[in-house]
Amino acid sequence: MIYFRGCVAREKLQKVAMATEEILKEAGIDYQLLDNEGCCGSVLLRTGFQEDALKIMLETLKDIGEEKVLVSCAGCYRAFKKDYPEILGKEVDVVHTSQLFADLIKEGKIQPHVTEERVTYHDPCHLGRHMGEYQAPRQVLEETAILVEMDRNRQRSRCCGAGGGVKSAFPETSHKIARMRLEDAEKTGAELLVTCCPFCILNLQSAEEDGKVSSRVQFSTAGEDSVDVVAIAADEDVVDVVAIAADEDVVDVVATADVVRGTNVGLVKDGEITGKRMRIIDLSQFLQNRLEMKLTKRLGTEVDKEVGT
Amino acid sequence: MKDSQINIMNHSFAILDNRRTTLLQDERTVKLSERVKKIREKAIHHLSLLMKTAHENLLENGIEVILADDAEKAADIIYQLVKNEAIVAKSKSNTAGEIGLTDYLEKNGVDVLETDLGDRIVQFDPESKPSHPIGPASHLDMVKIANIVSKKFDIEVKAEPRAILDVVKADILEKLGHCRVGITGANSVAAEDGSLLMVHNEGNISLLSMLDTHIILVGIDKLVPTLEDAISVVKLETIYATGKTVPAYMNVISSPSKTADIEQILLKDMYGAKRVIAVLLDNGRRKALEGGGECLWCIGCGSCVVTCPVYNALGPEFGYLRHLGGRGVVLSRFIKDMDVCIDSGLFSCTLCGQCSLECPVEVPTSEMIEKLRRESVKGGISPTEHRKIKDNIKRKRSPFTDSARS
Repeated sequence: MIYFRGCVAREKLQKVAMATEEILKEAGIDYQLLDNEGCCGSVLLRTGFQEDALKIMLETLKDIGEEKVLVSCAGCYRAFKKDYPEILGKEVDVVHTSQLFADLIKEGKIQPHVTEERVTYHDPCHLGRHMGEYQAPRQVLEETAILVEMDRNRQRSRCCGAGGGVKSAFPETSHKIARMRLEDAEKTGAELLVTCCPFCILNLQSAEEDGKVSSRVQFSTAGEDSVDVVAIAADEDVVDVVAIAADEDVVDVVATADVVRGTNVGLVKDGEITGKRMRIIDLSQFLQNRLEMKLTKRLGTEVDKEVGT
Repeated sequence: MKDSQINIMNHSFAILDNRRTTLLQDERTVKLSERVKKIREKAIHHLSLLMKTAHENLLENGIEVILADDAEKAADIIYQLVKNEAIVAKSKSNTAGEIGLTDYLEKNGVDVLETDLGDRIVQFDPESKPSHPIGPASHLDMVKIANIVSKKFDIEVKAEPRAILDVVKADILEKLGHCRVGITGANSVAAEDGSLLMVHNEGNISLLSMLDTHIILVGIDKLVPTLEDAISVVKLETIYATGKTVPAYMNVISSPSKTADIEQILLKDMYGAKRVIAVLLDNGRRKALEGGGECLWCIGCGSCVVTCPVYNALGPEFGYLRHLGGRGVVLSRFIKDMDVCIDSGLFSCTLCGQCSLECPVEVPTSEMIEKLRRESVKGGISPTEHRKIKDNIKRKRSPFTDSARS
């Protein structure tokens, strides 16, 4: 089986590809990466470059041969599953990571740690509405955590705003849409938003980082302790960064805004922290984290035993 | 549109969406959708034949028929009919919006009295554009509306719906007394019966149809074979647009006012219009048949924009005049040209496919948009960023300029 990471997981969100590979290893699945992995053609197809897409798709098809293909990206999935047969007349044996993960859990090949954490799930358009795969990622989440649905889910899931070349040509429109989707997610009360399309993650995360879209600003976890770093907004501009303790009392100014322009986000209005942070990750990262938890627990138990004997 | 107006619009949309949830899942609605989808597909497929049939039967019924090739001609045809009037009354019509009728008439010295409450409010506000085909003032909140109306009449109007309605209604009724011509659209046209069907909730179209002359401007895409088909179409439109199964009023106009009560002798001009004139508008529709006829299946319910992520972010900027959202973008290619289509948002659609799912007749908008993008790219026009990405992919098998290959 070829693990076709796709451009975003390969070059922008390598953590997604790393997590996926870890899971494959844990499950004992043989796989290979392509040398000089190519492009599925999705972005070209969606933006009107049909002739260029055809060439690219034929090259990629040659790389793949008759192998089974595993993809992380919903866009790749739709391209291989739907566009290749329709345009090139060639079926590709493709599986999305969410589908493989669901199977691995079902077959007992991986046993992720189960917690009561509340997570919400965003359906990527290319996986859900376009291809009808709503259940596999939910199965993984429901097996390992508490899934809380957004009002708009499955068929009616709101687009993250990145698709169709809008993110590259009209980033502001993309961000506006992403903000609406993040609000949908926040309403669930979950602090973790899981999806399984690196394009969606990239857009949702960058919308969170763009303080000008709304009154949202970044904050990121400061190390391992219970102190968070928060950027305080004044008139929607990040002005200051303070460390806050778990009870949300400000304890110290630790850095300037630029330092923490990062991954996690909190809502700060009029100097008050009103929103919870929303972490946005791929299903593979979520699952790998759960497998690590299990490992830690197992090792922990073994160590205890040794000490005991 | 301002962000604050977009927020109000989305809030109105959310209320509408909630209201119709149960009804949309009702088995009867599902069956009606299936029936109407077939009616619409077939009608568009046989449009030329239906046009011939409609023309003959409307004439037969005593309705004058004028064919208008494009927006400019249609506006001028109507102007020629009303040029001696100081003021004409008009109901809500997306087709009139498409040809810029109100602006054209007013520029040429004929005042236009919008009789739909939402339209009238939007008419008072120079900054506004209608934001939903059925609820044109969806983007304005009550306080803003009260301000607009207060300013217009130079009186203090309370931010309370009844107070606003009373003031606007009194003014409309006073002015309506001076009108001899009513201009309306039609929601569906029955070709075999020679009947035009229009729906409304306010009762304004009933009033307009009783004036001396009733001009009905309608796109040729609104044709269906029979009155039964037409009623199915408008019923479904009402369900999707408002969350109710039927509108307050359905008017069927099949002739000027007439009687034969005296020895079966036909006499015209009883209570209603002396003249009924149907202006059938092409404006790119027949051209659309060649490359995107699916966009003509539309029944005008506006369901597609309610949950469209791009429309929720940009408002009516995404679309063409009163043809809102992605389907309007597609139609603009045929009404105007590729440049207008691009300006309307050809490359702003995320292709998420939500609109087709929300559409009762499943207009395949994202497929049509992809097709038009291919045409645009072939003609050498695409966003600079897209061309960069294409070049990157061709050069190094990756869309990104700034990342290292691993």
